[in-house]
Amino acid sequence: MLPAIVGLMVFRLIPIGWSFALSFTSWRIFDDIEWVGLSNYAHILTSPVSREVLGNTLWFTAMYVPGVMIVSVTLAVLLNNSLRSSAFFRGAFFLPYITATVAVTLAWRWIFSTRFGLLNHLLGGIGLDGVPWLADPAWALPAVAIVSVWKDAGFYMILLIAGLQTIDPGYYEAARVDGARPFRRFYAITLPLLSRSLFFVLILALVRSTQTFEITYALTNGGPNRASTTLAFYIYQNAFVHFELGYASALAYILCFAIGLITLLNFYLRRRWVHE
Amino acid sequence: MNDVALRRAPALVALYAVLLAYAAITLMPFAWMLITSFKESRDVFRLPPSFVPTMLQGPEPFGNYTRVLTQHDFLLYFRNSFFVSTTAALGQMATCALAGYAFARMELPGKNVIFALILATAFVPTEVTIIPEFLLMRGLGWVDSFLPLIVPSFLVGSFGTFMLREYFASLPGEYGEAARIDGAGPFRIFWRVYLPLARPALISIFVIAFINNWDELLRPLLYLNSPELRTVPLGLMRFVGEFESEWTLLMAGSVASTLPLILIYVLGQKYVLQGFAGGGVKG
Amino acid sequence: MTLMKSTLCASALVCVAGAVAAQDTTLTYMLWSTEQVETEAPAIAAFEAANPGVTVEVQAMPPADYWPRVSALAASGDLPDVMAMSSGFVQEWAEADNLLDLTPLIGEASLEGYFESAVEIGKIDGQQVAFPQNWVAPVLYFNRSAFDAAGVDYPSADWTWDDFRAAAEALTLDENGDGTPEQYGYWVYGRYAQTDPWVFRNGGRYVTDDGSALEINEPAVNALAFLASIVDDGFAPRPQELEGIRQQDVFGMGMAAMWVDGSWNIDNTRNLVGDSFEWGIAQVPMGPDATPETAVAYAWADMLAVTTDSEQTDLAWALVQHLTGPTLTAADFTGGKVPAWTATAQSEDWLGRGQQPDNMELILEIGTQPLYTGFTRDWSAWRGYAAAGSGGLNGELDEVFNGRKPLDEALAAATAYGNDVLSR
Repeated sequence: MLPAIVGLMVFRLIPIGWSFALSFTSWRIFDDIEWVGLSNYAHILTSPVSREVLGNTLWFTAMYVPGVMIVSVTLAVLLNNSLRSSAFFRGAFFLPYITATVAVTLAWRWIFSTRFGLLNHLLGGIGLDGVPWLADPAWALPAVAIVSVWKDAGFYMILLIAGLQTIDPGYYEAARVDGARPFRRFYAITLPLLSRSLFFVLILALVRSTQTFEITYALTNGGPNRASTTLAFYIYQNAFVHFELGYASALAYILCFAIGLITLLNFYLRRRWVHE
Repeated sequence: MNDVALRRAPALVALYAVLLAYAAITLMPFAWMLITSFKESRDVFRLPPSFVPTMLQGPEPFGNYTRVLTQHDFLLYFRNSFFVSTTAALGQMATCALAGYAFARMELPGKNVIFALILATAFVPTEVTIIPEFLLMRGLGWVDSFLPLIVPSFLVGSFGTFMLREYFASLPGEYGEAARIDGAGPFRIFWRVYLPLARPALISIFVIAFINNWDELLRPLLYLNSPELRTVPLGLMRFVGEFESEWTLLMAGSVASTLPLILIYVLGQKYVLQGFAGGGVKG
Repeated sequence: MTLMKSTLCASALVCVAGAVAAQDTTLTYMLWSTEQVETEAPAIAAFEAANPGVTVEVQAMPPADYWPRVSALAASGDLPDVMAMSSGFVQEWAEADNLLDLTPLIGEASLEGYFESAVEIGKIDGQQVAFPQNWVAPVLYFNRSAFDAAGVDYPSADWTWDDFRAAAEALTLDENGDGTPEQYGYWVYGRYAQTDPWVFRNGGRYVTDDGSALEINEPAVNALAFLASIVDDGFAPRPQELEGIRQQDVFGMGMAAMWVDGSWNIDNTRNLVGDSFEWGIAQVPMGPDATPETAVAYAWADMLAVTTDSEQTDLAWALVQHLTGPTLTAADFTGGKVPAWTATAQSEDWLGRGQQPDNMELILEIGTQPLYTGFTRDWSAWRGYAAAGSGGLNGELDEVFNGRKPLDEALAAATAYGNDVLSR
């Protein structure tokens, strides 16, 4: 435990404390530092752009977290068996997680392409009108969420399978003897006994939903007209395109504060729904 | 879904239908990447898109791969990435195990506060801490070495700690009690009793840490100057041009760089499942 | 260095090497083009040969990685001796005192061999903080074969906006009558290199003279309204229709008969078109609100700078001269990048005889005109560039071209955002 704490102090806490101090400055990385007090925070809280970006972030989280939870729980439950083929499927579903984001997002750009895209082609096949997925402000963020769910679901699935493996099959046998239907068994046994893993995955997904920026960068570049710019991408833009590290830090600490609150709330609620 | 339910044929058919459909969605972008890595560069953006890996019929079916591996020093980059990812992942596994165990099983004053603090560090985006970290590493004289890539992740992993804390907490306390009655000290209980039980979780952490370190671009970009220290992501960067990128080479390089991760996953998965099967931690 | 001396040493900088006492030293040099490293390798080897004991350590990375890297190095005081510098960032970097004023090093030497306007771009507040290696300018690409087929005259120097509109209309072809033209007359979206040449060639400006605030003037609004009307009339596709096709491929694939973008796209267009059609380049038409005096050409330069962190400034400046002067050959410049050294630019090799387009001189002509770069502090934010390319003016103009927002509303939003960024 001691080495972890020491490492934490030096290599995480120093940069973190430093960047927190920077959030009260105006610093373009290649220029001099100037103390500006609370004005970064004041600007962020009043600027229409950051409110728009905050709104996008909430909307993204609202799509990504439930989406990825539902998909990964479903996959985990379906694949928690000893069928030989399941090993193949587990591997296949995990593959997106380890594939280089920039390279594979190019494939997704083609899938979402307005005229030549596979998705619009399929929609046309069932008589629906396609939409310009990545160029329409209403659809760009859902598209980013779809790709993000696709990329991460396999990872959470593995964590959840690990959790499912700890459940004693005897419970299911007993439930079957009592005549419980599959959905009833899922609610009565799987969910409560998996709640510890679910809680962990939920926290992970929440944090990740606020930090995704590689997919945004490669898929929509935050567009059209900022419609898919989430806080993480906005922080990246401020830090590494405009090099306004002070402003970017202030944004980051507002983000931290928000996730911190949500996580605390989760830990508080955990007592109610997590089966210890 | 447990094995008992799968004895019925209709359930099995439905299961396969769902799995195959999702597998198709999952694998398609990757298949596209694979196909592109066997294309001539002029065929990449052709419209309408084609699924024909044109090079496979040509005289040099693996031309893009041989170009990547021979024109650039990718074998060296792979060795470097392998070294960095392995040491960082091993280190992270070790420290997370100790910290996770301490938080789960030991009575320490203020441990909840410290745990919250460790967790909170994961919420701060790297983009804003990386420049201070760079200045810190420079102060330590670590620039242009692997140390800045290894040591920070060697020593701290918030989620690894979190995951192992959850894991150790889920193990029955009776094991430790029994060992203590036999006269074992706290470290011995950890080392002999709980650590072996945590094997699947430890391997999961190793796999995840390995993958994360393998993909890391920002840190190598800032810290490494010498060509002989380059990692795989830095090598792939060479195919991204000012106006045009060499997409076929980038795809071939990306596919090649995914292979070690697939290997790690396959090996890791086997042990994770074995670990569960043999660990005696049911329920 | 006197004028005579500099003429004598015109090619390999042997005498510069003599002037600089060089023991075993390493000169660091960073640039943002990974292709450029290979083309410059012989020139760098020649420099090392001419300066015994000097090793040049070159590091290159794509632009999106280059700027974070050098910014971090600026913060730690470890900038390379020589670094590539763009027109867009030179002002901020000079103001931050990262770039050495080259004026004393240049001394009395003549800069006659260089494009004067390109050298000017590296001059900030009277200090020569960067030196041009090449420069680029947006041009009007046009599909000669399509013009011939439609019986339309090629663009000429005295083309008006009306001529352009008439050509765009005649070149928009929907032969199968499905309502979606197979060939559009034109192709445009909110990118700076596509719209801003029209704005500046109409005497338009986005910012005040001192660059401290956004103030989009009437000629600028008119130019953008003109482009929007071309799209609204159906002579250019709505950008969202082409999403998924790389913007630089639309013209080359024959989907649009005209296109305005940077001359650096010449290479890609050559590769794409091959022999499938004939094409040329022309100057972007001058707007009705402009006079030949106010219609400035839009161009900018890629430059090299000696940093203030360098401890061997003489040697660093020698390398800058070596990499910008006559030692580089035409082959060292890809496509439409114009060598800052006039003689190389005027060589048959650079003019690319036997290749399309056959009128590369046009770009050189642009270089003799008064130039305007339009860059200010935080340009990447308010204009919308690189990873911030979906915001600012770029994002708002895309809304206009996609028919989702009226122009005045979009420009008001872009101005408000830009001024907020600039006043921060």
